[in-house]
Amino acid sequence: MAGDIDDVIATFVGLASRLARGYDVVDLLDTLTADCARLLDVGSAGLLLADGLGELHVLAASSPDTRILELYQLQARQGPCIECFRTGAAVSVPDLAAEAERWPVFTESALAGGFVSVHALPMRLIDRTLGTLGLFGSTVGSLNDYDLTLGQALADVASAALVQQTVLDDRAAVVAQLQGALNSRIVVEQAKGIVAQRGDLDMVEAYHVLRRYARDNNLRFSDLARAVTTRELSAQTVLDHTEKRRRS
Amino acid sequence: MRLSGSTGALASADQLCVTCVELLGVDGASISLMSGGMTRGTFGSSNAMSRRLDELQFTYGEGPCLDSVATRSPVLVADLADPAETRWPAFRESLLESGIRGVFALPVRIVSEHVGALDLYRTETGALPEDVLAGALIAAELAALPLLDLMGADVDWAAVGDEGAAWDELASLERVEVYQATGMIMEAAEVTAPEALVRIRGYAYGHGMTASEVAWALVERRLRIATNDRRTEDEV
Repeated sequence: MAGDIDDVIATFVGLASRLARGYDVVDLLDTLTADCARLLDVGSAGLLLADGLGELHVLAASSPDTRILELYQLQARQGPCIECFRTGAAVSVPDLAAEAERWPVFTESALAGGFVSVHALPMRLIDRTLGTLGLFGSTVGSLNDYDLTLGQALADVASAALVQQTVLDDRAAVVAQLQGALNSRIVVEQAKGIVAQRGDLDMVEAYHVLRRYARDNNLRFSDLARAVTTRELSAQTVLDHTEKRRRS
Repeated sequence: MRLSGSTGALASADQLCVTCVELLGVDGASISLMSGGMTRGTFGSSNAMSRRLDELQFTYGEGPCLDSVATRSPVLVADLADPAETRWPAFRESLLESGIRGVFALPVRIVSEHVGALDLYRTETGALPEDVLAGALIAAELAALPLLDLMGADVDWAAVGDEGAAWDELASLERVEVYQATGMIMEAAEVTAPEALVRIRGYAYGHGMTASEVAWALVERRLRIATNDRRTEDEV
């Protein structure tokens, strides 16, 4: 069993308090996927969300590494996550190498990335499936029932964070909310590109620079990203902040 | 913004609207354009009436497609004659005079920017059935491609062809590295997100690459970004 009980409790207390206080979807879900990876002791955790057309997009991941984000995005076409989304049921792949024929493109990339097992859990909301929580393991083997239950609980929290209860019976409004969350992700990736270009950084460094600025200035991560992409806030200002912090 | 090569893009947009009428059982369709560094206005339509109605929104400065872009969400009106409906008084009256009872505006996005809307008109009242709404969302998504063509002069849309290829094209644009590379170009060349995407797409076509491959080359600093419009063969 991975994850000690104190850590599990602290994680859910943290999530509950952020949900109650108001939150930024991208920030909350990046944290939630990092919690998942730690508690379930998997190499990487990521959330894929379906847009209005049922196409899956990367929404959040425990690591900002572009290659890993890409592994999740690959599953829009093939892999355990799209299968989980289509059926609404969990998909367990304890030994990915044995499934190379089933998902050739995905398997090759995942193995190249050092991942040898995958579990995909549905993000459910009432009677629909919004997307998938993907768990990539660095070791062969299945998650036990306790871990799967814990993973499913975290996936359910993610679903609840994405859709406001008040709009559940309004299909267009639900689509708009999910699209809004996906847009926030796009804007975050654009902002990473802007900061990386300006400061000659790689994407992981750019992510940490943005995240640090948001925290120190009490800004929501996606609000900061939007301000950077609209040039309300210059990338240089964000970079200068990191530099100043490093010096002090 | 150059508009060369726009004839093909306009024809694609018109065709998409005609297809909407045929497949979705609506009575008219139009695509309007509102931002992305381009002129505002009607960009495609299924017939003359749809075009005229769409243009009226810009004349009056009000309408569901303008609201759809402003609110970044679909605007669905099942019955324009409903007494509770008080939005867009001038435009609503014109619609009703033309026999239109339902209007449905779905945002058209390029990267994260809402650049326009697909408007569907119906002479009958009532909400769009789920499958029709799903089809309309697909059409709104596809409408981004002719819009990108309108912006990118050096792209040969005829080379892309059938709808399956259009989906592959869209999938290639909706990737993390493409968003990141878009940001890099926005910063280096001081352009908007759609313009940056046009550059990636133009380079991809010119060099027989996918947008994703071009984006990776940018993210890994294997490709140079031109800081102005005079870019060489080897620059994005």
